[in-house]
Amino acid sequence: MDPASFVAPALNALFGIASLAIVALGLAVVLGLLGVLNLAHGELVMVGAYCAYVAQSQGWPYLAAVPLALALCALLGWSVERWLVRPLYQRPFDTLVLTWGLSLLLRKSAEAIFGLGYKSLTEPIGGTLEVLGTSYPRYRLLLIATAAVVLGALFAWYRRSRTGTRIQAMVGNPDLARALGLPVRRYASATFVAGTCLAGLAGVLIAPLVPVQPFMGLDYILMSFFVLVVGGLGSLAGLSTGSALIGGVNSAVSALSDSTGGYLSVLVIAILFLWLRPRGIHAR
Amino acid sequence: MHRSPNAARRRLVVAAGSAALGAGVWRPAFAQANEFKIGFFIALSGPAALFGPTQRACADLAAERINKAGGILGKPVRLIFADAGGPPAETAKSAVRLMLEDKVDLFIGSHDSATREANIATIKARTPYIYSPVYEGGECSPNVFCLGETPPQQAQPAIEFLAKEKKAKTFHLIGDDYVWPRKVNEQVKKFVAAAGGKVVGEEYVPFGAPNKFEEAVTRIKGARPDAVVATLVGADNVNFNRTFAGFGLDKSIARVSLLLEENTLLGIGAENSGNLYSCMGYFANSPSEGAKAFKAAYLAKYGDKAPQLATIGADCYSALNLAKALFDKAGSADAKKLAAASEGLPFDSASGRVTMHGRQVDKDMYLATCKGTQFEVIETIKGVKSGTACRA
Repeated sequence: MDPASFVAPALNALFGIASLAIVALGLAVVLGLLGVLNLAHGELVMVGAYCAYVAQSQGWPYLAAVPLALALCALLGWSVERWLVRPLYQRPFDTLVLTWGLSLLLRKSAEAIFGLGYKSLTEPIGGTLEVLGTSYPRYRLLLIATAAVVLGALFAWYRRSRTGTRIQAMVGNPDLARALGLPVRRYASATFVAGTCLAGLAGVLIAPLVPVQPFMGLDYILMSFFVLVVGGLGSLAGLSTGSALIGGVNSAVSALSDSTGGYLSVLVIAILFLWLRPRGIHAR
Repeated sequence: MHRSPNAARRRLVVAAGSAALGAGVWRPAFAQANEFKIGFFIALSGPAALFGPTQRACADLAAERINKAGGILGKPVRLIFADAGGPPAETAKSAVRLMLEDKVDLFIGSHDSATREANIATIKARTPYIYSPVYEGGECSPNVFCLGETPPQQAQPAIEFLAKEKKAKTFHLIGDDYVWPRKVNEQVKKFVAAAGGKVVGEEYVPFGAPNKFEEAVTRIKGARPDAVVATLVGADNVNFNRTFAGFGLDKSIARVSLLLEENTLLGIGAENSGNLYSCMGYFANSPSEGAKAFKAAYLAKYGDKAPQLATIGADCYSALNLAKALFDKAGSADAKKLAAASEGLPFDSASGRVTMHGRQVDKDMYLATCKGTQFEVIETIKGVKSGTACRA
């Protein structure tokens, strides 16, 4: 067989994995480090996507959507953590109900502001690029590269920086960390904000590829959750493994048979992991 | 017709919410005895709720006109809207409530085929039922009247156009995995064979799943068909067409989408709509006098901020006009008399005068090409038969 015929499926798999990882990242940070399953995560991705829509419809350069989404998601994340999530740490079910309510509120707010119609964005970098004998959309290649850079940078920072070490201390034993004089509250708030900002950033990145609409978040929360179930919580290695397995299998089976087969295998994998290895591959 | 993507998961998430909200039926505080009550199913929740405002506005416009003209069977018409945006079983429950509590005289439904099947199984012909949107044809249950475009009306002209004008010989079919796309594609294969073409690929994506289309588009790119026939709905339709053009296939492969209306085209976007066609009985800018008059009346009532006109919505207007013509001709709500009255019955649809035969509608069809985010009708096919003839 022509080696070029493997390039497109490989890039598809890579794109599937990268887009999954970048979307799941924010959820991984909040769930892995704070133990809060943020059901409004998909809606924060949606907020980011609408920021991109606003930026583009105002005629601003596409990159202007990044600070806009970061600012809005930081504000949302900070207020939600400060007034809603903080009293509920260690009460997982209550935070679940809380963030579910938040997701409804965000969806309805988007509906009130923008309506239910699909918004379409122009890809900031359109067209295709020749890669090893096959043409592939440029923007998807850019997304793969961006996801790799963001994940790599975050990984390096978390491993090497002092703050990263302190957050690890907070996650490991909050009481001891507090006793050592670490500002645990502030770290928790900052971690939550980081998670919501990453969700917003993911929204900006994927917005040109999908219909932007109030319900879009539901597409992402479920797949992100599967990634974390499979990969395990609390580490970027878990996130990467989970994305690679879920995204890779989905893409491979979809390419070999069809999308129904791809989605079915994702569900089977997620169920098997919940059943047999609920802490995931990289159990902490 | 349109079935909300992501429905399955949404059901899970929304279940608790809708339980808290209670019945999906809107009931005004005052009910009068001497009214002609119509249980009207439109999408009030879920992603198909995108069509809700247009459906409601078109239905209200028709009801207002009918009431000015003396109502139905001499009684003023009252519309009782109920949600058909959730799972079919939920909608069927609302149908029971509307039958037993509100004692409606008629049901009108503008929703997907799965919900139609659930409703028919629940109503069991006890109340007449008008089903209005584009569908797969062949619905002959008693006391049911269908308005929508069937595959012989929609898919056949589109495929003949692709075969003749675009010289398409090979076709790839892609659709959402539920009753409408599968039944439509059974007929599409016959039309393709009749036009001397060949179906070289057929695939379905899970309905309600977070679908992505990179793999399907890569497969199509490898197979190089001359044309693609899409029976995808809503966000899946938008997603597929955006991915298709993103991979640069729009230049070499023609696409026809069988549920492509104004809202979906806005989502697909101007730079992704090249070489894309739609064949419908109604477009907001259909060239017919009837469509122009309907649009003028709609804009006169609702002004510039009116919800976007599209086939889903306009069908509600047509359905109410059919109701008036049908009941007034039959002179009663008796099923046999209604069925007899329906044969050869002329009435005004949103596109103009049409005729009911075999409890289906023969109509003019419009083949349109996409110019940016607008449809441009390139061919009008007069008086196309539905291909379904139910016994009166």
